[in-house]
Amino acid sequence: MILEQLHQHNNITIYTLNKIVLTQFKNYERETLDFIPEFNVLTGKNGVGKTNVMDAIYYLCMSKSYFGHSDRQISKHGCDFFRLAGDFTQGKKTLKIVAKVKNGSKKEFEKNGRKYDKLADHIGLLPIVFITPDDNSLVRDGSAERRKLLDNTLAQSDAGYLQHLIRYNKLLRQRNAALKKFAETRQVNHALLDTYDQQMAAPAREIFHFRKQMTSQLIPFFQEQYNEISAQAETVGLSYKSALNDNDFPSLIRAAREKDIILQRTTAGIHKDDLVFTIGDYPIKQLASQGQLKTYIIAIKLAQYQVLKSIKKYPPILLLDDIFDKLDNQRVTALVQMLVKRDYGQIFITDTEPGRIRNIIKEKNAMVREIERV
Amino acid sequence: MNFSSKLIEEAVNAFASLPGIGKKTAFRLVLHLMNQDVERSEDFSNAIINMRKNIKTCRVCFNISDEEVCAICSDKARQQSTICVVENLRDLMAIEQTGQYRGQYHILGGVISPIEGIGASDLNIVELVERAKDEEVKEIIMALSPTIEGDTTIYYIAKQMEGMGVAISTIARGVSFGGELEYADELTLGRSIISRVPYGQVND
Ligand SMILES: [Zn+2]
Repeated sequence: MILEQLHQHNNITIYTLNKIVLTQFKNYERETLDFIPEFNVLTGKNGVGKTNVMDAIYYLCMSKSYFGHSDRQISKHGCDFFRLAGDFTQGKKTLKIVAKVKNGSKKEFEKNGRKYDKLADHIGLLPIVFITPDDNSLVRDGSAERRKLLDNTLAQSDAGYLQHLIRYNKLLRQRNAALKKFAETRQVNHALLDTYDQQMAAPAREIFHFRKQMTSQLIPFFQEQYNEISAQAETVGLSYKSALNDNDFPSLIRAAREKDIILQRTTAGIHKDDLVFTIGDYPIKQLASQGQLKTYIIAIKLAQYQVLKSIKKYPPILLLDDIFDKLDNQRVTALVQMLVKRDYGQIFITDTEPGRIRNIIKEKNAMVREIERV
Repeated sequence: MNFSSKLIEEAVNAFASLPGIGKKTAFRLVLHLMNQDVERSEDFSNAIINMRKNIKTCRVCFNISDEEVCAICSDKARQQSTICVVENLRDLMAIEQTGQYRGQYHILGGVISPIEGIGASDLNIVELVERAKDEEVKEIIMALSPTIEGDTTIYYIAKQMEGMGVAISTIARGVSFGGELEYADELTLGRSIISRVPYGQVND
């Protein structure tokens, strides 16, 4: 078991999920799955719910679905309740995490039988990175997806970040509602806008610094990961685009006020930030090949993995869903061999063909467990 | 439930329309009244009608009151120099219960939350600012819930009072009052009023 030797050698405490029990989660009535600390390959035909198991693992770590499915959508059809239980170990410690979600009541998360007061307190305890074909939206869709990448990474690495973000977003929603109300009553309360602007300034400043720093932490890892999987020497880049790069928040939002009043929403602030992806000197959007794009996106996600690992001092869980989708065999082989070679933690991969992953890594002495779903 | 009497049924429905009272309890209460003298029922309904017709809102502090001005506002023994600002009547009563505060009150009627349709003009803020102009008023104590909306309201009021020479303080935050003042235990609440902090200090 080469991974364990590696970890012991580097003095890293690996954390692993040993068992998960799904109750009325998506298509599962009740299912218990056992895992090993190395490679876990979930095989089965399309539509059997492999991705749902991955999302269940993600849910236990992040207290929500990776795909943005609401709790109501997650409950098995016709049920108003679902439950997830995961047995984790970290070094000699055992952690039992339980999620109980019932329609119409507050969702509950427990750690070793103790209920969390706030879900936010759980985020970051069990770092996790999920790579899925859905990640194409990082390039294809609007800036919200890219902010989500930064927010997700920061929320898992710093408890304070989430507090600032929650505060900013609540104030933003109130400010927008106030702007709507002013339009209805045709009366603008400038003093109230002053109040929101002032209250938002401190969290905006914090979020800006966090995001800026995170972007620069991601860049070297991104370059390294990209070169490794693509075997190309191109320079890839990330830059953080924010109006706060050139302005302070109070003057930014002050300058936008007249526009905000007309449009009835807050048009400037860190909720407009973006990440710019480049390759060579060009924006990534101009890339033609699907394979190249895929490699690019996987490299970004692996950079996220490496950043979290360097901050947490232990490797996150890595979920790889359907990587054979649009990636040729050669690229997948390179990727999987890299995952075996380096000190990654526990890995979960889904594949429609049993044995394919095992064939790639057969010469390496790593453990692979295939979990068949029919 | 099926009653052989329309009269009983109407009385049961009236009781059952109150919060926390189900049909069974309502029926028990009606039976009880039915077995008492008629005068008991008359006194009972008169007390309710009297209360409802004559209860007023204090024109100074918006507390409930029998007169134009409430018992707290007209109590000359109480300090005139401080006004404690609360969201609602329940919070006022929670603070009174501690016995630690002997000044004036002002009920806002909520906190600013445009999402719920509550703007600054829906609250008794203008009246508070007017009261603070009185030279006798030296300090305003903000006893609002420690939420973002509570913060917004404090900030907004503080801005309205800028340059008026009135000190603004907030009751110590983070003390275990679980989000809502009315659930605070008396000791903690009493202590947090005594150890209130000047507003600028918490805001920085
Ligand atoms: Zn009064």
